[in-house]
Amino acid sequence: MAYIHTRPQMACLVIFVALLFLLPQLVSIRLVGVMTVMAIICVAVVGLQITTGYAGQINLGQSAFMGMGAFVCAALANNFQLPFWVAIPAGGLGGALLGAAFGLPALRIKGFYLAMTTIAAQIMFPLIIMHMPDRWFGGALGLKLEPATLFGITFDSDKSLYYLIMVSAVIMIAFAFNLTRSRVGRAFVAIRDNDIAAEMMGINVFHYKTLAFFIGAMYAGVAGGLWAYYVRYVGADQFTLYFSVWYVGMLIVGGLGSVVGAIFGTIFVRSLQEAMTYLGPFLTELLPQVAGAQVWFAGMNILLGGAIVLFLIFEPRGLYHRWCLLKTAFRIWPFPYL
Amino acid sequence: MEFFLTDLLQYTIDGALKGTLYAVVALAFIVIYRAGRILNFAQGEIVIVGAFIIWTFTSLANFPVWLALVLSFLASIFLGLVVERVLFRPLVGQPVWAILMVTIGLMILLQGITLIIWGGQERPFPLIFSRDPVKLGQLIFSRSIFLGGIISLVVFLAVSWIFERTRWGLKLTAVAEDHRVALSMGISVKKSIATAWIIGCLLSTYAAIILLDGKILALSAAAIGLQALPVVLLAGLESIWGALLAGLIVGIGSSWAAAYLDPYTDGAMSEAFPYLLMLLALIIRPQGLFGWKIIERV
Repeated sequence: MAYIHTRPQMACLVIFVALLFLLPQLVSIRLVGVMTVMAIICVAVVGLQITTGYAGQINLGQSAFMGMGAFVCAALANNFQLPFWVAIPAGGLGGALLGAAFGLPALRIKGFYLAMTTIAAQIMFPLIIMHMPDRWFGGALGLKLEPATLFGITFDSDKSLYYLIMVSAVIMIAFAFNLTRSRVGRAFVAIRDNDIAAEMMGINVFHYKTLAFFIGAMYAGVAGGLWAYYVRYVGADQFTLYFSVWYVGMLIVGGLGSVVGAIFGTIFVRSLQEAMTYLGPFLTELLPQVAGAQVWFAGMNILLGGAIVLFLIFEPRGLYHRWCLLKTAFRIWPFPYL
Repeated sequence: MEFFLTDLLQYTIDGALKGTLYAVVALAFIVIYRAGRILNFAQGEIVIVGAFIIWTFTSLANFPVWLALVLSFLASIFLGLVVERVLFRPLVGQPVWAILMVTIGLMILLQGITLIIWGGQERPFPLIFSRDPVKLGQLIFSRSIFLGGIISLVVFLAVSWIFERTRWGLKLTAVAEDHRVALSMGISVKKSIATAWIIGCLLSTYAAIILLDGKILALSAAAIGLQALPVVLLAGLESIWGALLAGLIVGIGSSWAAAYLDPYTDGAMSEAFPYLLMLLALIIRPQGLFGWKIIERV
């Protein structure tokens, strides 16, 4: 079954991609920056969707794998002067190896215990990074990066970075769409539904579970590499448990089990975050006993916690489910059901 | 040599007492799991909310200490009931990951709410035990942790008696095995989960008193929730006395790591030690030392 069934659908896709690439010419620079970060996080969350939504392996360490990718990319770019189109995939590989290492226990443990292992990875990550030799990962100070260059174009402005990151994100997400419709994707879903039954049907559960972690963490590593070139500074405190929880929150809001759900979740939650940042000054006036920057932090916490809890209680299948209902209602209107 | 032995004994008993504190928080985890199959990541935040409630009653309202403590325990019972009613009753029978994510959402929500209600500045926690240290020969211990350790043993005996000797405890254990089967036996799952949350919140408030007595009360103290997780996993999610044993092991181990290994690793080893122990336990014996081994059939 093809993804695109009709010509109007193909036209929509072409227009959408064209709009994506024309965006920097049409809107303000601030929105371009917001979209760039959204694209980076989208890559990481789509990776998490592959591990958690498709293969059913709860992964609360995605931010640590992203950090690993960022540090490997930055270290290679600084110490060996590798160009970005080598460093970013190398960062992806670095993240993937760390992910696979922490997914190895998936042979023996599942569910909550596996989540605990990934939390342990996440918590130990800053400790490990800061105690590595300074020449490798910068110790406590982090690593600075030169901007990416390609045939003389230096990617150091918002617009050029937008194009670099959007192209990478589109490639990675297209790969994700294809992966989930392949043999590997079907094996993942079988493992998610019932891994003992999957083993009995001849699926090598250990191999595919490790592969799920490997691929999900590879996405995180690539996102980390993109982040490194965007922010041009990599520090261990950019990759904490807090961010990992945000990513899983985005999955829950968007809907577990579909790549489109991951994209919806990222856009929705990031928009809420940006709205919160925009409203910050107003909230500081409303709540004077909470000093300045902490109102923003508290507001973000309540937003994230509230979003996760409300979606789980009222719409556990997420925004993607609502979108499917909307499409069906549109298709069969004016009838309530067919 | 003599100094080495005295030091060793000091570190060991210090570690053991700290370990019983972790064990109490771990017990709150285990009680909530054992009566409702809910893995509560928000335990640290509940400890902090209990601490803030105590602070409000003693320092803001200036009640005498005993009245403040009684009111705080009543408030924590109320908190437990509210959380159960609003968050967990709609989720009875949902898959494991949904309940896990709700508790993570609760953790973050409580962080935000605490910050909004009480603000982010540090404040001194009231002194409930006296400040003189307890001296045993050449060994010196802080009074609150020492007395806390002894009271904790009594608490463990009480909770273990509830779960193993009373009919009520049997019902709670049945709910932990399977919600639907328990419902079909006529056991009220809602009441069991509510009971578990009440006991868990009471234990958390008690842990807050021991942990913060006379010290600074700041939001970062909520980290004890995550630090108690290795104890829970080492013990096994269903075992009450296992929590005490695992707490002792983790406490003594961290204390030794802090004393003997930290100078070589810049303080990283004592932080990482509980998690390394937990990873080892998960790989070698996933159900913990005393947990139930679940056999899945297709």
